[in-house]
Amino acid sequence: MAQMWITMGPQHPMTHGLWTLRVKVDGETVVDAKAELGYIHRGVEKISESRDFLQITPYCDRLCYVSAMTWANSYIYAAEDLLEVQVPERAEYIRLISAECQRIASHLMWLGAYGPDVGNLTIMTWALRDRELFLDLLQELGGSRMHYNYPRIGGVKRDIPIGFADRLKAKVQMFEHRIKEYEMLLDESTIFLVRLQGVGYTKAEEMVDAGVTGPNLRAAGVNYDVRWAHPYSVYDEVDWEPAVEKPTSIKGADCYDRYRARMFEMRQSCRMILDAIDKIPGGANNHYANDDEMIIAKAPTRAPEGATGFSNYECTRGSSQFYIKGGGEGRGKKPYRLSIRSPMFITIPYIADTMIGYKIADIPAIMGSFDPCIGETDR
Amino acid sequence: MEDVIQIRTWLTTLIGDGLESATADTSLAPHAGDITFFLVTLLSCVMAFALIMLSMFMILWLERKILGRLMDRRGAMTSLRSLWVGENGVTAGEWWKKIPFGLGTPVGAIVAWLNKTAGNRDPKNPTVDRVNNRSWYGLAIFPGFFQNIADGLKFMTKEHMVPSRADKFIFELAPFLVISSTVLILGMIPLSSQIYGANPELSVLFAFAIFGIAPLGVFFAGWASNNKYTLIGGIRSAAQLTAYEIPMLITILGVCVLAGSFNFLEIVHFQHSSGSWFLFLMPLGAVLFLIAMIAEVERIPFDMPEAEAELVEGWWTEYGGMRWGLLFAAEYMRTYAACILFAIFFMGGWHAPFAGLIGRTPYIGGAYLLIPGIVWTLLKAWLIFSFVFVWARAALPRIRTDQILEFGWRMLLPLAFIQLVLVIIYRLYLFDAGSVHDTIEGGWAWNLYGIPFGLPILITVLSCVLFYWLLNDEDPVDTKERMFHVRTLEPAGKHVAGTD
Repeated sequence: MAQMWITMGPQHPMTHGLWTLRVKVDGETVVDAKAELGYIHRGVEKISESRDFLQITPYCDRLCYVSAMTWANSYIYAAEDLLEVQVPERAEYIRLISAECQRIASHLMWLGAYGPDVGNLTIMTWALRDRELFLDLLQELGGSRMHYNYPRIGGVKRDIPIGFADRLKAKVQMFEHRIKEYEMLLDESTIFLVRLQGVGYTKAEEMVDAGVTGPNLRAAGVNYDVRWAHPYSVYDEVDWEPAVEKPTSIKGADCYDRYRARMFEMRQSCRMILDAIDKIPGGANNHYANDDEMIIAKAPTRAPEGATGFSNYECTRGSSQFYIKGGGEGRGKKPYRLSIRSPMFITIPYIADTMIGYKIADIPAIMGSFDPCIGETDR
Repeated sequence: MEDVIQIRTWLTTLIGDGLESATADTSLAPHAGDITFFLVTLLSCVMAFALIMLSMFMILWLERKILGRLMDRRGAMTSLRSLWVGENGVTAGEWWKKIPFGLGTPVGAIVAWLNKTAGNRDPKNPTVDRVNNRSWYGLAIFPGFFQNIADGLKFMTKEHMVPSRADKFIFELAPFLVISSTVLILGMIPLSSQIYGANPELSVLFAFAIFGIAPLGVFFAGWASNNKYTLIGGIRSAAQLTAYEIPMLITILGVCVLAGSFNFLEIVHFQHSSGSWFLFLMPLGAVLFLIAMIAEVERIPFDMPEAEAELVEGWWTEYGGMRWGLLFAAEYMRTYAACILFAIFFMGGWHAPFAGLIGRTPYIGGAYLLIPGIVWTLLKAWLIFSFVFVWARAALPRIRTDQILEFGWRMLLPLAFIQLVLVIIYRLYLFDAGSVHDTIEGGWAWNLYGIPFGLPILITVLSCVLFYWLLNDEDPVDTKERMFHVRTLEPAGKHVAGTD
């Protein structure tokens, strides 16, 4: 049969964002695939050069619209490295809790988008409904549902509200049962397994060479989690383990492994949150004022000449890295250069290679299993 | 057993008598019988189509309600409740109190209990309350029932566009093929012993011949739209056609062998007069028929031709306006036809369940037998739609084209043949032709070694055991073994098109 190129995107149900996947098909079989990115490039790195260190945080919120808290935190750690700020421990715990809530919400968004990819709409409504639980919690902290602008250089914007800890515990404990319901709906469905197992194999060595990180890499059995390998914040004080799957095939991890890795990671985030809310210094039921030294530390507004800041942060989709060069007095309060390493920018071209040899119907199954987010990819 | 509504007999008598007296002593007198037949058929067709089209609103409403509630966390319990309770606890009022003699009291009790157990205001389920915080507009009963009319009006106001490089003639022809063939099926399907459009001798064969036309229209539409997605969707439809049509036809052959007829009316009457629904005689056949029918009407999990995840909207991507709306309605008409066909083939059609047992009961028996047959047909069809079609759509992902081909050829087809052989054995060796009775109780033609209704009972029990065993056979989460593998081509660069 004759071969033809099909352009999927920038507006296509498969893409989960605005980008283009060009696939060459031979009948139903994909023989070549190319990813074309850059459709929603906003130039966040360049914009940041004309903003204060504090003003950059909202832009980092908008890097990934389903995982705002982790990206803002990722920037904040780089800025604190640049400005040499010592963060109070209570603020670190609050950041950990908010980031893990965001991780669960982001993985739920992935699960909700992955259901329609393989044709099941029920899991979409279930996952998005439970995501509301965590968006409500984050709204209590940041005041907004999607873009919180919550972390500050030296701490967080405000303390956890009274009663937050009880609501958090109740919702997380309920959510642990809900994960079982998802597994009853999906893992026990033969059609779901037929669609995912044996599809989209990725080898661990290839992924390490390509620079893929996050749950996609851990699904292939590589125990690399930035929170575990290079613990920042208070991740070495709470009780958890990295979500590493052991793939059963020598071909590597398939879509089902990646699905399992994310479900495992949601459970670990629940475990982490429940442990952290008990260990939080200053008491979970106390509320400190916004400028209390338990919440936020004094931070300089100007970076010294030639100083650099760097952070390596485990975002929901992998290792996100920020590099900031301070401008000194000449640049005022603004950075000289800010550079972002996005995990999905590195992963998406690799996914395009992965799907060669499978059917057209496998394209959304494979693409969705990697959890692409175009906001952070195009920056 | 005769139906209460003898509409064809009444019409024939009425029109026939009128025409006879009107045409007496004229040159038309010899043709009075033909004209009567023509007029009765015309009126019956209009009546049958009107009844099916009007009752199809129920199908759309049931799907909307039950699917919405299955996708809700509360599951089937709230599905029941939502029949009389709208979103956010808005109800249709306590209408059961208006029913005379306190007959509605049990309904009120059930509503009170459901409100207590599955109410949206349950503090243990904050998300339900949080997300259901929508306002509700609608008429006082059947919330959401008239949404379909609003949808239809919306489609009618949309512009009709033909892609510039499409094959215009074929592009316009394809919806006609799909829709007209779909409507034609409904003319063959009887809703009761007297409500049908036409009743040819081989009506089963005719109906399924028409059922096979629509995929041709789908292929035309996919090809003529000049779009790569529609092309792939159309070819998928053509490719999967044989994989499910052949098992389905062999299953229906089993039904016809068991009933000894290719006629819908006779199949239904045979189920009553022989004493058992075919559901209890050939449950395997019923399951095969349902699977093949879901594939035939292209619903999840077999909706690869439209697979919106990868093919945007499949073969109807380029259609818009009322043509899209009619194609969509045609899909539901086919679904509805499939449900009615299941009710006719396997659930005794318009015959009341336990007509003999309940019909002989004093006081209520007479009232029970007065329920018109069409009510039973529609109730059975709606039941099948709600519990099989909607539930399957809510619970299952979509499978791949190569997987349905493999499934159809390697599992459905052998099973259909096994069912056919079994059915031939039942009919030849276990059927007692002397015990077929066309009374209210029906016959008892399927006794086994003197046990009344021994064969259906034995088959049903064995099937339930088999089903339970298959249900608990696997637990892939615990074993963590890969049950399924797919064979793929060589990686990029190594595969040369046309060489393998």
